[in-house]
Amino acid sequence: STSLVTQSRNAILVSHRQKGNPLLRHIRNVRWAFADVVCDYLLGQSSCALYLSLRYHLLHPDYLYFRIRELQKNFKLRIVLCHVDVEDAVKPLLEVTKTALLHDCTLLCAWSLEECGRYLETIKIYENKPADIIQGQMDTDYLSRLNHALTTVRHVNKTNVVTLGTTFGSLSHIMDASMEDLARCPGIGERKVKRLYDTFHEPFKRVV
Amino acid sequence: MVRFHEQIIGDLLEDPNGGLVVLSSGLYLSKLISSMVLLHSSSRGTLLLLSPSNPRLKSLILHHLTGHKITVSEISADFPATHRLSLYASNSVFFITPRILVVDLLSRRLSPTLIAGLLILTAHSLSETSTEAFIVRLLRSLNPDLSVFAFSDRPHAMVSGFAKAERTMKCIYVRKLHLWPRFHVHVSDELERDPPAVIDVRVPMSKCMVGIQRSVLEVMDACLKEMRRTNKVDVEDLTVENGLFKSFDEIVRRQLDPIWHTLGKKTKQLVSDLKTLRKLLDYLVRYDAVTYLKYLDTLRVSESFRSVWIFAESSYKIFEYAKKRVYRFVRSDGVKLVSGQGKSVAGKKRKSKGADKIEEEVGGASSSSTSSALVLEEVLEAAPKWKVLREILEEIEEERQKLALSREELMVEAEENDSGIVLVACKDECSCMQLEECILNNPQKVMREEWEKYLLSKVELRDLHARYKKKPKDPKGFGILDGVVPITPAQNAEASSTNKQEHDALLAAASEIRKQAKMDYVVGEDLQLHNGSRKHEKVKGKVRNKKGAANLPSPGGKDNNRNEKAARNDIVETSDSGNQGKKDEINSLVAGGFCEATSQGASVDKPILQKHNQESNYTGSGSAKNLPPVHFYALESDQPILDILMPSVIIVYHPDMTFVREIEVYKAENPSKKLKVYFLFYEDSTEVQKFEASIRRENGAFESLIRQKSMMMIPVDQDGRCLGLSSSVEPQASSSQNSITRKAGGRKEIEKEMQVIVDMREFMSSLPNVLHQRGMRIIPVTLEVGDYILSPLICVERKSIQDLFMSFTSGRLYNQVETMVRYYKIPVLLIEFSQDKSFSFQSASDISDDVTPNSIISKLSLLVLHFPRLRIIWSRSLHATAEIFASLKANQDEPDEIKAIRVGVPSEDGIVEDDVRAENYNTSAIEFLRRLPGVSDSNYRAIMDGCNSLADLALLPVERLTELMGGQKAARTLRDFLDAKYPTLL
Repeated sequence: STSLVTQSRNAILVSHRQKGNPLLRHIRNVRWAFADVVCDYLLGQSSCALYLSLRYHLLHPDYLYFRIRELQKNFKLRIVLCHVDVEDAVKPLLEVTKTALLHDCTLLCAWSLEECGRYLETIKIYENKPADIIQGQMDTDYLSRLNHALTTVRHVNKTNVVTLGTTFGSLSHIMDASMEDLARCPGIGERKVKRLYDTFHEPFKRVV
Repeated sequence: MVRFHEQIIGDLLEDPNGGLVVLSSGLYLSKLISSMVLLHSSSRGTLLLLSPSNPRLKSLILHHLTGHKITVSEISADFPATHRLSLYASNSVFFITPRILVVDLLSRRLSPTLIAGLLILTAHSLSETSTEAFIVRLLRSLNPDLSVFAFSDRPHAMVSGFAKAERTMKCIYVRKLHLWPRFHVHVSDELERDPPAVIDVRVPMSKCMVGIQRSVLEVMDACLKEMRRTNKVDVEDLTVENGLFKSFDEIVRRQLDPIWHTLGKKTKQLVSDLKTLRKLLDYLVRYDAVTYLKYLDTLRVSESFRSVWIFAESSYKIFEYAKKRVYRFVRSDGVKLVSGQGKSVAGKKRKSKGADKIEEEVGGASSSSTSSALVLEEVLEAAPKWKVLREILEEIEEERQKLALSREELMVEAEENDSGIVLVACKDECSCMQLEECILNNPQKVMREEWEKYLLSKVELRDLHARYKKKPKDPKGFGILDGVVPITPAQNAEASSTNKQEHDALLAAASEIRKQAKMDYVVGEDLQLHNGSRKHEKVKGKVRNKKGAANLPSPGGKDNNRNEKAARNDIVETSDSGNQGKKDEINSLVAGGFCEATSQGASVDKPILQKHNQESNYTGSGSAKNLPPVHFYALESDQPILDILMPSVIIVYHPDMTFVREIEVYKAENPSKKLKVYFLFYEDSTEVQKFEASIRRENGAFESLIRQKSMMMIPVDQDGRCLGLSSSVEPQASSSQNSITRKAGGRKEIEKEMQVIVDMREFMSSLPNVLHQRGMRIIPVTLEVGDYILSPLICVERKSIQDLFMSFTSGRLYNQVETMVRYYKIPVLLIEFSQDKSFSFQSASDISDDVTPNSIISKLSLLVLHFPRLRIIWSRSLHATAEIFASLKANQDEPDEIKAIRVGVPSEDGIVEDDVRAENYNTSAIEFLRRLPGVSDSNYRAIMDGCNSLADLALLPVERLTELMGGQKAARTLRDFLDAKYPTLL
């Protein structure tokens, strides 16, 4: 079983049920191996995927439900990878959506085996990747970063940031400012002062 | 008011239920609507006009209403709800944005019985799912007496798609369709009773223009043939005539959209190529030769390697011809072909020779690069219409003067002729300005200026590397350019692919201009005072002369040249100010003041023109004749120009069907006025073809509408009427129209009346409408988190495909999901595809070989990995979404409006309602911390453990930070950011 663990760290583990699935041909950027796993594809420590072809679903409407039940509570991320391979997908997709949603599964749709394969590969490869590519490109200059940080405090706007900056000179001075000093800034009212002060001075964890 | 407008309104008001009016474009829909507004009596209730998305129609209507008692203001979201309520109850007339109206109706602020009538101004954009249809349904259900009047002046848009007119009528519950084509008996009778005098001027195109047109059409035909071969588009639609219209793209896209992802790259490219080609045809008659060449150049740069057409045999000709209209090359050792006068005649003769030459040179370019030098010779073909326009203007003035003379003799009242303004209508503002220049100045000069600009931009774009030969007399100029232009090897590589010599010669000419500009500062006067050298200069050194005169008011001068120059400067200035004045006045739209001011402006114009004529006489390009006051008008600007200006002569420079109709109506409204209309067509051009086709097309649309009308199945007791009686219970009919499921259980659920809380901003989309059709109660509120709240647990963020891509890039989606996950047990991302587009992201062939961060698959995977609790709904269409929502809600509690509004909004003490973490954590401090540079997902928890608050953090030394953050670099970054001096703005 130790070999299984090491294997699972850098390869997708595929259930024996998936033998003969043409999808496997399209997993090329990641290694994969057959193993005894309860899900169809084991993608990481706590993430797994079930493969469902809509055509199959039309023949066996209960299949998905039983497969999901088998998974029990062992995984944090449970993906239903749905291959949309029928022309009129609305009705079967509605059923699949409902089943997945009400049983804590994330539904991903793909329209070709290539796409199915690519989802599996990507999720495996990105297992530990930070989210910065979907967090938007932030400008990296000082002012935008300062804006970005200070505007997390509700109702603080860009003008306020300029006021704070020019008054206190640096961010550390702003963070360390007293309530009176904050209140002296033009355009920053009582409520904003309180919000700012609380943000900086309340402990990160209220109940220690 | 024209009589047929009265008839339209009379017919329309016969049925109190309302009706749909489709009339030909140019028959003044705006006037018709303002007449409707004027007929409104306040005893009946409030009349609402749904603001059209096109603000021009609105401003036109308002313009027609000025001077009448009724004022029509706009109800917008800026007014507080109570104010809006009082306006609704005021029994007057308002414009209102559909979004606000629907929100007020749904929130039950507005009682539908207050509304007497609803005017929809753009019926062609209606559909079953549009907000307008939603509004009508809501209003009708509670107010059976409501009249709904819908209008459209785009008949061809009313026949796109299956039984569009019928469906449109059903969705606003009207029974009467009123068709008012131009060929309607009443319309044609009235307009043709005393038609304006029309003079059709056919201008032959220059040889090169004919050549370009032929080549473009050839390529277009080839593209269409290629397209036919794909078997994806209905062959009937694929005609060159159709290809001339913008709507062609729509036809093709409508057929291709559902299968877009299965198309190969080539088919997609063909579609966009056809678009480009259509533009080329259009621009050929609109742009001057130099601008056209410039446009072609940019095309070549921007789409060189992908497009199909650019490599076609005929495309080569397009470029060649376009070039020939601007310049050509002669060999320096060759015979001087140039002789200065009789430009147009000589030009033609030389053209064929020039062509040969160029071909020769193309062949032998590499070998001859050092030995035989090329000389660039300017052709600068002016648009043939320019000359004709001028002649017409002169003719008009002549006639006018004759008339004035005879009138004085006969003592006829001169008042009638008070606005002797000639209106020249062209397509866009740009050609307006250029024409104005041409008339005020010399067409040659206009071309020259464009040419200079073109050359200079060439220099800026590329640069020269190879040695080149110029006119043998002064073989320099390299040095100057060398100093100014930075040389980059990449550009050189590009340059070498084109004909090098040609290129070099172009640059030489450009450097010449530059040099001239420089020298002008130094020598200034000296250069331009070669008396009588003009003819000579016209061939070689015209650049310098013109430039000096027009742009450099140099100090001092000699004899009459000085005067002349002053006059010229004068022209430039005054014509500018005249322009300015006119524009301002149009903007202000004060009709009365306008006439006066323009005639003033015109009187200012007149002496200028005379001056100009003197000058042109001097240069020998035209005979000294007076020109009448001219006003240039861009059809694009959509002003009620005819009413304001009251012109007696109109020159239609770019023929346009709508404008022609407007002229007709204008004439019918002012039967006493003598109106003369000149049409300027290029003979045998696509311009004529397009104009004629547009009329045919409209007639065809009307014929089809008439046929449809005769076969229409509109129940006397329409859905709307039934619905009206059974007030709030939703009509089964409308939801079963597209019933996807008709489970017995489905019925029961509807009886319960489901509720969905919808964010105000979502009323831009059609989903609330469809949900309402499905029988759900829509509660519009402003939501901080999510777009739709289905139950206390389920919160949905809706993304159309386009939105999805955009908000992934901007990072918005990440933040939205983050907050949803924080506040709701079942956060849902709804990915909504469009019914008429393909149901997939990409075709299998578009998937790259390896995992790339930019692909939508990667982004979605990352989102899913970071938010394992996020649920995703993939919906085929709006209707599918409604079904999914209904089935998800089946076993859930109804959402609580008050709670939903509060979610995510911090209360007074800063604690955020329902935030699972809020009780234990200072969430805004954590958020703040995570946005600081150097802080990452992996180290922020350690920082929180290591210090109490942000204020503490601000004081930590870098050593301690290094410990906490697990790295010197991150710690340094953070410390530097904290201590960085805020840049003062002073």
